[in-house]
Amino acid sequence: MTATALSRGAGNPRSPGERFGKHVLFTCAALSALLGAAVIVVVALETVRFFGRVSPARFFGGLTWAPLAEEPGFGVLPLIAGTAQIAAGATFLALPVGLLTAVFLRYYAGGRTASVLNAVVTLLACIPAVVYGYFALNYVTPAIRSVWPGVEGFNGISACLVVGLMILPTIVLLSREALGAVPNSLLEEGVALGATRRRVLVRLVVPAAAVGIAGSVVMAAARAVGETMIVTLAAGNPTGPTWNPLEGVRTLTTFLAQASLGDIPTGSIEYGACFAVAAVLFLLTCGMHAAGRALMARGQRGTLGAVRL
Amino acid sequence: MVMSAPGPALPVLSTERLTVRFDGRAVLKDVSIEIPLGRVVSIIGPAGSGKTTLLRSFNRMNELIPGAKTAGTVHFQGVDLYDADIDQAEVRRRIGMVFQKATLFPKSVFDNVAFGLRAKGVEGDLHGLVEEALTVVGLWSGGAEVLDARALDLTAGEQRRLSIARALALKPDCLLLDEPTAALDPAASAKVESIIHALRHECTIVLATSDHTQAGRLSDLTAYLDSGRLMEYGATQELFTNPRNERTESYLTGRLP
Repeated sequence: MTATALSRGAGNPRSPGERFGKHVLFTCAALSALLGAAVIVVVALETVRFFGRVSPARFFGGLTWAPLAEEPGFGVLPLIAGTAQIAAGATFLALPVGLLTAVFLRYYAGGRTASVLNAVVTLLACIPAVVYGYFALNYVTPAIRSVWPGVEGFNGISACLVVGLMILPTIVLLSREALGAVPNSLLEEGVALGATRRRVLVRLVVPAAAVGIAGSVVMAAARAVGETMIVTLAAGNPTGPTWNPLEGVRTLTTFLAQASLGDIPTGSIEYGACFAVAAVLFLLTCGMHAAGRALMARGQRGTLGAVRL
Repeated sequence: MVMSAPGPALPVLSTERLTVRFDGRAVLKDVSIEIPLGRVVSIIGPAGSGKTTLLRSFNRMNELIPGAKTAGTVHFQGVDLYDADIDQAEVRRRIGMVFQKATLFPKSVFDNVAFGLRAKGVEGDLHGLVEEALTVVGLWSGGAEVLDARALDLTAGEQRRLSIARALALKPDCLLLDEPTAALDPAASAKVESIIHALRHECTIVLATSDHTQAGRLSDLTAYLDSGRLMEYGATQELFTNPRNERTESYLTGRLP
């Protein structure tokens, strides 16, 4: 047997081919990071410039949002309130259905039922928002008005219902994940001690997953906060502030969608206002997303302490 | 020690051609066994021989595993345990089970023992019943502090005894113990064994153990399971000193391939 010397060449991590490949990958990664950072920087700069003209106190404290009026109002609170109204309503509607679906999928559905239901829920997540929006405007709103004639053509209820439907898959899939983190032995132990499955689920399993479920709800609410198309189509974009869900509702996102259609001159104060609103929206969804992820992660580590014996 | 004969005692639990499959794979095959009233029965056999599955089929716990299919019959005091109308919660109250690795609830000792009683719908003050169960396992000596102690702060041995007390609080007719002394030190094991020995007067006990010397110390009857089949079943002393089955003998003498 003769020994052959190791060859030097392409297999070497420092060879030109390997190094070139690594540089291409790094450039792509850097590009996406840079583009993301650029968007944030532009929004931040424009927002800072806007706050040079309109004080943050007026922006965050004012109660009128009318940047295009002759006597413009730059109070963002009505937009935040509208956003909160839609997001809270949608989450409130989606939570019970979503959580019960998740429990059913995890603990009751047999293999076939589970996979069909899973496919349907996943399909819901694939429907484009504009389709949901038309569904709200052309089916849900007329249905609401037929039983409740006082409701306007553009209204918050319809938006809440359909945004709720849109965020349902998020709650179902993430809550099921949270339930999956609860050890099966908890269910077995409770059942072996003579408790019904329902009692064990209600008192032991769901409380043990509560933190993770809360995370799924926050993630879903973050999606609702950022939702634009459905809300624009269903809730319109009234200029005055409304607190009544039977009427149209204006949110951070619908204002931005409408403003981008108009011809606001670049560099004007209204132009700056759009960026300030975008910054608020970004911080809100970003913060909720981070909080939701943190809760989900904590849920994965197990929170058995929450069981109610 | 007086050896109780298998004798004509009424079977409290009996299986007939019991076969349990998980996703089509048979883990128990055609097992027919009778557990006489008031006796301690050990199920021994190598790892993966189906000891736990047999134990779990006695209180319908296998149904919680997706893909589990049970064929054959299991009778409890003459009633078909797997009848569709049977109250499963009652089955598990009357045929209690202590898992090899108990999941204690991260609450107080009292709450752990009271869980089953509350689920059963027992009203009023549960202290008497809880203290009674804790006394049997030697965790109660009159001080209230043990009731408020966090279950997870107990030692491994105490946790095992607490998990037995939890099942005992329901005063089961039959108690299923899966590897009751697994992972315990010798002193803690001895305590658990003495509890089992004392319990023989309270209820019928079926225990699965991979320590056949434990089966010899504790049980009136021993069953040897191998690859899901019941190879041999009889009076413990008889089975240990004069096994009729070759595999039983190989297992008992440590010569199993």
